[in-house]
Amino acid sequence: MTSAACLANMPRMQSFPELLKYVWQRLGSMSLAIILLVVLAIASVIGTVLLQNQDQADYLQQFGPLWYWVFRSLGLFDMYHTWWFLTILGFLMLSVSACLWRNVPKMLKEMRARKPTLSEKALKNFKYTKRWQLPASTDIAPLQASFEKRLQGWEFRPADEGGRHYIRADKGRWHKWGYILVHSAILVVLIGGWMGAQYGFRGNMAVPEGKSEKEISFLQGTETGHLVMPFQVRCNSFFIDFYPTGAPKEFRSNLTIIDDGKEVLTSDIIVNEPLYYKGVRIYQASFGDGGSDITFKMFHMDGSEAITTATSQVYKTWKDPASGIELKITDFKPYNVENMANPGEAKNFQDLGPAVEYEMRGPGLKPVKIKAFMNPFIDGDGNNQGSFMMISLTGDAADFKPVALGLDLSNPVEWKLFHAFMRHLVAATSGGKQTKEANLAAFKAAMNDVFGEGNRPEGFQAMAMRTLQAVNMLPQLPWPLLPMLGDFKLHYYTGLQLALDPGMNVVWVGSALLVLGLCIMFYMPHRKLWLIIQAQDDGMAVTLAGMANRNHLVFDKDFHDLFTKLDDDFAKLSS
Amino acid sequence: MTATTAESGFFVALNQGRWAYLRFAAYVGAMVGIAAMAMFGVGAYEENAFLYQILSMKGVIWGGTGALAGCGLAVIASTLKPTLQDAKSARNFVPWLDGFVLMVALASIWALFEPAQAAISYDDQSNLFAGRVIMAMNVIFIFSSVSYIAYLFAPDSFIGRIATWSAYSGVFLGGSALLLRWHESYLFDLEIGHAPVSNLYEVFILLFCITAAVYLALEKRYQAKAMGAFVMTLVSAGVFFGIWLDSVGQADIKPLVPALQSYWMKIHVPMNFVGYGSFAVACGAGMAYLCRYWLESNGGKSKMLAIFPSLDQLDQLAYKAVAIGFPAFTLATILGAAWAAEAWGGYWSWDPKETWALIVWLIYGSYLHARVSHGWHGKALAWWAVAGFLVTVFCFLGVNMYLSGLHSYGQLS
Repeated sequence: MTSAACLANMPRMQSFPELLKYVWQRLGSMSLAIILLVVLAIASVIGTVLLQNQDQADYLQQFGPLWYWVFRSLGLFDMYHTWWFLTILGFLMLSVSACLWRNVPKMLKEMRARKPTLSEKALKNFKYTKRWQLPASTDIAPLQASFEKRLQGWEFRPADEGGRHYIRADKGRWHKWGYILVHSAILVVLIGGWMGAQYGFRGNMAVPEGKSEKEISFLQGTETGHLVMPFQVRCNSFFIDFYPTGAPKEFRSNLTIIDDGKEVLTSDIIVNEPLYYKGVRIYQASFGDGGSDITFKMFHMDGSEAITTATSQVYKTWKDPASGIELKITDFKPYNVENMANPGEAKNFQDLGPAVEYEMRGPGLKPVKIKAFMNPFIDGDGNNQGSFMMISLTGDAADFKPVALGLDLSNPVEWKLFHAFMRHLVAATSGGKQTKEANLAAFKAAMNDVFGEGNRPEGFQAMAMRTLQAVNMLPQLPWPLLPMLGDFKLHYYTGLQLALDPGMNVVWVGSALLVLGLCIMFYMPHRKLWLIIQAQDDGMAVTLAGMANRNHLVFDKDFHDLFTKLDDDFAKLSS
Repeated sequence: MTATTAESGFFVALNQGRWAYLRFAAYVGAMVGIAAMAMFGVGAYEENAFLYQILSMKGVIWGGTGALAGCGLAVIASTLKPTLQDAKSARNFVPWLDGFVLMVALASIWALFEPAQAAISYDDQSNLFAGRVIMAMNVIFIFSSVSYIAYLFAPDSFIGRIATWSAYSGVFLGGSALLLRWHESYLFDLEIGHAPVSNLYEVFILLFCITAAVYLALEKRYQAKAMGAFVMTLVSAGVFFGIWLDSVGQADIKPLVPALQSYWMKIHVPMNFVGYGSFAVACGAGMAYLCRYWLESNGGKSKMLAIFPSLDQLDQLAYKAVAIGFPAFTLATILGAAWAAEAWGGYWSWDPKETWALIVWLIYGSYLHARVSHGWHGKALAWWAVAGFLVTVFCFLGVNMYLSGLHSYGQLS
C-alpha cells in the first residue's frame, strides 16, 4: 500500500482519541507488518556491506571527509545500535503487540466455540462439498458411525437443528495457537535481546601468560569503553597445537579466576568451550605475543669480528649507548608459515622458524622495519642458503622484502671465516681487481686460518658460496650493528572475550516457542468436516462439507479419499 | 492431483502401517542412542573420531540398544493407542531415513575402491574415490535436468521416468560421496578427520542432494513432474559451479580450524541446507508458475500446458516448499545462535552471514504474511519466491565471496 493510498483511506479526525484509535488500527495491520519486515531487511543490508566497528581513520581514508561525516552522523559505522535501527525494531514490537492484542481474544474464542450447525448460505461458500441421495429408510446412526470410523483421531460434535442432523469433525483445532506462539515468540526474543543490551556486557581483555587482568574494553559507537570485572583472570599458560599440515588445531588457555584475592577456579578453555563464572562467560578469542624475552646476537659491522648479545622484551625498546642505535621490538612469532611456491605453482607452505620484528633507528640512519629470523633458510633441496631477514623501508609490514645475508649467522664460525676471507682478499688483491683466482686463494687462506692447516669442515664448498655472497651483500648494509635473533623465551598473551547476557535464556525460551509455533502453524492445519443429514420427501440428503486453513493440496486428496470411502460405506448401508 | 501408487504391494506395505511405524521408532531410537553415546558414553564425544565412534562396537551397542528401546516403546504405545500405527510422521519420515541407510551402505561399498594407504597423500587428493563418485553425480544431475527439459517437449512417460530415476541416483551418489569423504578425511590422519560439511564445496554437494530430494518428495506426492525442469536446472547450474570450485583446488579436504571443531557444525550446517534446498524448490515452483502463466497468456495452445500442474497447484507447491524450508531455516538459525553463544561470545553479533540469514528469514516471513494473512496469490508471490531464492543465494554464496566476517571459513581462498 502506498502512502498516498494510506492518506486517502484516512478518515477525517474528529478528536485525539479517534486519531489514537486509527493509529492503533494501522499498527496492527498486515500492510504495516510486511512493510516493516521489508524495511528491516533492507536496512540490515547496509551494515553488511559497510564493515562495522572498524578504525575511524580507515573510514576517513576510504570515504573522504564529506561522506565520512554523513555516514558517521547516520551512525552507519555501528548501525545496528543506532536510534533509527532500534526504532524500526521498536515499531516491529509495537506492531506485533497490536496484532496479538487484537486477534488473540478472537482466536481463543474461536478455538473454544465449535458451532456444529451451518447455515445454508455458509454451506454455499464451501470449496469442498459432496452430496448423496440415500433412500429414506436409511438409519442416521450407522451413517454417523461410519463417518466417525473413517476419521480416526478427529473430534466430533453433533447437533440437531431445523430438521437437520449435523456432525462436525475437527482436527488440529489448536492451529491458531501456532500463530499466537510465533508472534509472542518474536516479542520474547526481542525483549531478551533488549535485556542483553541493557544489562549485559561483552568486551575483550588480553592477559599475558603469568599475569592477571580485570578490565575489559569494548567499542561503544565510535569510542572505546572500559569496564572492571568483579573478579580477576590470570592466564597461567597459553598453548597452540598444530595439525601435521602446520595449520593451527587448537588454542588453549589455562586460566585461574581470582575473586576477592582468593583463587576460586582453575580451568582450561578452548575456542568452542568457554568458562562460566558468576554469570560471565569467558571465551578464547585470540592470542598474541605477551612480551617474550628476546636475546639478540649483535654482529658488529665495523670489521672487529665481534658478536655481542643484548636482551630485551617484545614491546620494549633496546638502546645501544655506544652507537646510539635503538631497537623497538614490535612482535615475535615462533612459527612463520609462508608460501614458498613461485606465483602460479602449487602452494607450498613451509615454516621458516622463529622471527623477531623490530624497528631500527639510529643517528644518520633511515628508520626501517626488520623481521629477523633465527634460522638460516633451507631451500627445497635441503641446501643451506644462509641467514636472511625481511626489510621494509617504509615501515609497513606489507612492504617487507626478503634479503639474503649470505652467511649462516647461527654458526659463529662463518662470521669468523668471513672476516678472515676479507682480510686475505684485501691482501691478495692489494687494492687491485677481485678475480676468481684471488678469491680462491683468499678463501683457502681463510680456511687454513679458521680451521687449521689443511682441515676442511663438511660442506665447505657451500660455505664458500655463502661467504662470497656475503662479501657482496654485507658491506651494502648501512648499519653499525646487525641484530639477529639469538634466543627467545616465548610468552603469549591470551585474548579473552568476556560476556554477560542476562537476556540469553529469555531468547532461548523465545526461540523454542518460535519453532514450536511454526511447527503447529505449518504442520497442524485446522481441518473441519461436516456431515449434514436431512430427511426429505423422497429420501435422505447427506452432505459432506470440508474446509482447511492450510495445506490444500493434501486436504484436496484426503477429502477425495474420504468421499470415496464414505461412498462405499453408504452404498452398503443403503442397499 | 491424486498420488498414484506405482510400486508393488510389498513396498507399499513396507512403507505404511506398522512396518513403517516400527522402523521409524527404531531409527529414532538409534539416533537417540547415538546422541546419548556422544553425551554420556565412556570416552564421550571425540571431535576427531566421531564417525568411527559411531561405527565401532560401542556405537553399535548404543545405537542398537536405542533402536530396540525405541521399538519396545513403540509397541507399548501402539497397544495403548492403535491409531498410532498409521501415524503420518512415520510414513513421511521413513523413506528419508531408509534412503540414508542406503547411502551409508553405498558409501561402504565405495570405500572398497579406495587406493592403498601408501598411495594416499594429503598434498595430492586426486586419487581418492569420492572425487569420482562426485563426478558421476555431476554427470547424472546434468543428464537429469536435460531429461526433465526434454520431458516438457516430449511428455511420454519413458523420458519422464528416466529423468526421475537419474535424479534419484544423483541424490544417492552425492549423499554417499559425502559420507565417503568423511571416511577419507580420516585416511590422511585421524586428527584431520571431520564431518563433510566444512567448506563451500562440500556444502554445495549437500545442497544439490537436499534440493533434489525435496523436489523428488514433492514430485512423488503431487505428480508435479514439469517442475523438475526448473528445479533440476538450478541444481545443474550449481553443479557447474561445483566443478569450477574443484578445478581451482577448493575441493581438497583440509583440517578444521579451531572455531569449527564442535558438534554444532554437524547439526547447524545440514539444517541450514534443508532450508536453502527447500527455498530452491520453491524458486523452481515459482519459475514453473511464471512459465505456465506466460504460456497461458500466449493463447494457451501450447501442448506443454497438458503436463504442467495447474497454476493453483504450482502456487500451492511453492508454498509447500517454503513451509518445509522456513521452519527448518528458523531452527538452523537458532542452532547457529546457540553455537555462536558457545564460540563467539554471544548469540548474535550482526556478522554479515547472520544478518543475511535474518534478511532471508524476513523475506520468507513476509512472503508467508502476504500469502496467509493478506490473501495474496499467484504471479506476485511466484516472483517473490524467485526473488527470495536470489537473496538466499547471496546469503549462502555472495556473503562468502564479497563480505568478510566471522563466517569467513566458507570463503574462497
